[in-house]
Amino acid sequence: MRFVWFWTFWHWSKESYREGCLLRSPLHGIGGHWDEWFRHEASVDELRQIQEAGHDPSSQRRFMAWLRRHWARETEWRSNVGAVRFALSQLAQVPPFHKWQAFDEFRTGYGVPGISAVVLIAESVGEADDVRKVEALVLPQSDGPCVVTEGFRADANDLITSRRAAENLTSGGGLLRFLALWVWRGERPHPRWLAALLAAAWGTLGAAFLYLWLGPDPGNYLYTFAATLLGAWLALLLAAGLTWGKFCLDARRAGRLWKALLQGSEIRLRMEGGLTVKGGSAGLPFSLNVLLSLFLANPLPARRSWIWRQLFANLREGAARSAATGVVTSSGSVLPVILEPKLRACLLHGQIKQVVTPRQRPAPHAFAPIQSARPEPARQTSLSTAPIGFAAEYGSLQSHRARHLADALMALGRLNNRWQPFLNSLALLVSVAMIVALADFKAILLPPPTPSVVAPISPSLTRLWVSLDTKRPEAFRVALDSRYWANRRVDVAEHKGANGSVRAEIYLDRIWDTPVRDPEDGTVWIERRHKFLNREFHPGERVGRYSLSYINKLGHD
Amino acid sequence: MEELLRWRLARAEAEAPRPPRAARLLEEARPWWEIWPARFQDAVERLSAIRLAVGHAMAEPRPGRIPVRTAALVLRKEQEIETSVRVLYLRVEGARLRLRFELEGTEEDARKSYDVTFVCTETLKPLFSAPAQSSLMGEYSIDFEMSPELARTWEHLKVMDRMPFRLILRSDTGQ
Repeated sequence: MRFVWFWTFWHWSKESYREGCLLRSPLHGIGGHWDEWFRHEASVDELRQIQEAGHDPSSQRRFMAWLRRHWARETEWRSNVGAVRFALSQLAQVPPFHKWQAFDEFRTGYGVPGISAVVLIAESVGEADDVRKVEALVLPQSDGPCVVTEGFRADANDLITSRRAAENLTSGGGLLRFLALWVWRGERPHPRWLAALLAAAWGTLGAAFLYLWLGPDPGNYLYTFAATLLGAWLALLLAAGLTWGKFCLDARRAGRLWKALLQGSEIRLRMEGGLTVKGGSAGLPFSLNVLLSLFLANPLPARRSWIWRQLFANLREGAARSAATGVVTSSGSVLPVILEPKLRACLLHGQIKQVVTPRQRPAPHAFAPIQSARPEPARQTSLSTAPIGFAAEYGSLQSHRARHLADALMALGRLNNRWQPFLNSLALLVSVAMIVALADFKAILLPPPTPSVVAPISPSLTRLWVSLDTKRPEAFRVALDSRYWANRRVDVAEHKGANGSVRAEIYLDRIWDTPVRDPEDGTVWIERRHKFLNREFHPGERVGRYSLSYINKLGHD
Repeated sequence: MEELLRWRLARAEAEAPRPPRAARLLEEARPWWEIWPARFQDAVERLSAIRLAVGHAMAEPRPGRIPVRTAALVLRKEQEIETSVRVLYLRVEGARLRLRFELEGTEEDARKSYDVTFVCTETLKPLFSAPAQSSLMGEYSIDFEMSPELARTWEHLKVMDRMPFRLILRSDTGQ
């Protein structure tokens, strides 16, 4: 077995904790525990082995790899990548590791990706040094505060607020907002051809709707056309609904797991510089890093959620080039801060390519000192628009404005798709129109049953009443086809009062130059009416045929 | 060669400072509280006036151990600080005391080492004095041989227990 001495230390630490000799848990106090063990408990042989392990950088790296691959897996935090990084960063501070070259990256940080905060030193008008990398780790809960800072100090309430904002994003109103944003303007998991196909399908659907509404009468194809249109709309709606539902539910499920993890954990925030942070403008980067740390601590939930996987992959990949500033509330809202010096600091930093700021107008009082500090004020661009180019030699800076933590995540996670809102608008427009016309579709596809002619009949000899036993008078029309009377086509309507009924009242107008002398000559046809929004199609199928004599006799029978 | 060595020895003896007198040695071996009793008395009075108590008002039980703070008085040339320490590690094996603690409120001006005087909580009498070395973690470590009687009293102490001592930390031991 390799590095037995570390196991000896580890068991000494665990046993001492169990016996009540150590206050902090073996993980939380690993640096101090090691220092104590190394100074007073390690045997001569163990010291010699430790010295051999640190003989050269390659053997030092072997030890670090062993810690990651073997020791970490034997502990109860095997799935938490952050725990082993925390251990490494703690060990990097104490002898003999503080002189080991391989531990260099852990001496000033946890070695995890982090989104930088812009914290201005007093009187600063924005310098590159004001951009500070923030790192966050999730550790098991200890007796200490739920957010522990390293390398800086901050108001405990501000830290707790940042943590709550992150928690709200994993499961709560913040998550709902984030998912709503994703639905509206988020990148979709489909391949490009499928996205193009869907866009074309919605476009075609919109065109077909317009054709049905404003185009030529489809005649006998009305039923087929309407059925196809409705079917395609429902299919697209179903596909979109299932996609949203699946991805949102997956995201919600993963968010709940991270929320549970966060609630039982301690957050370690690290920022170099020994600053005492006054004000809450670092709240936004703190929250973003807390979210990132949840993913680093337990990436498994992201495997089942495309949205989170995509978000964190991009967030992690772009963290070194990203900065954020803004006061964050526990609900995740991002409040304004003094902006211009911070943007200037980001521009001067060189490595920062994108910055998330609150959605606000530039504050004039903050702008003045920058102009005086810069030698080329005339070349400054409006700092509230994106992208920002301060000057050619500083490169450009992509600015994302956020009202909410969810906006910041969408931007830094590169989930925004500029075409998606257009497609959604089109789909929404088509869907609203379809919903408005849904009753007409129903009338076309599921027409009411054929009515019969019933009493009463007209008491007047100059009028013919064709009463129908239907509750849908608007769906029918009555046509008189006679050689004695002038042919007429009349809408069916509901008539109230005495002799009230659903009927068509046809004015009988005799044709004088006809050889027919029989006033009962004629046929009454019941026709279906087909309407679509404000359009009426040509008369539809004839569903009833009654002779005039039959109708006249109805009242007497 | 032998003559050369003798000559070198004679010269070294001639140039060496005079050995301190026995009285001086005895004086230096005396603990500081005997040399400056008034200063010690003043420090003890201030130390005994420090009130530390933990009020448990947690809504939910939390894992980990609740640290018990121990009153401490830091004496420096330029200032005196009433503070507390958090005992991180405590083990008494035989007569050997191993103690590791974290000092509150002096992070900005941490010292490499302190001379730590243990004062009995009940009697306010000095128990012993031991050097504490700072580690790179900002913590202090004591490794000291106590009297066997005191070791027997302390051998069952745990870090969560209320400590039977208070501490005076002196960074400028010349005073």
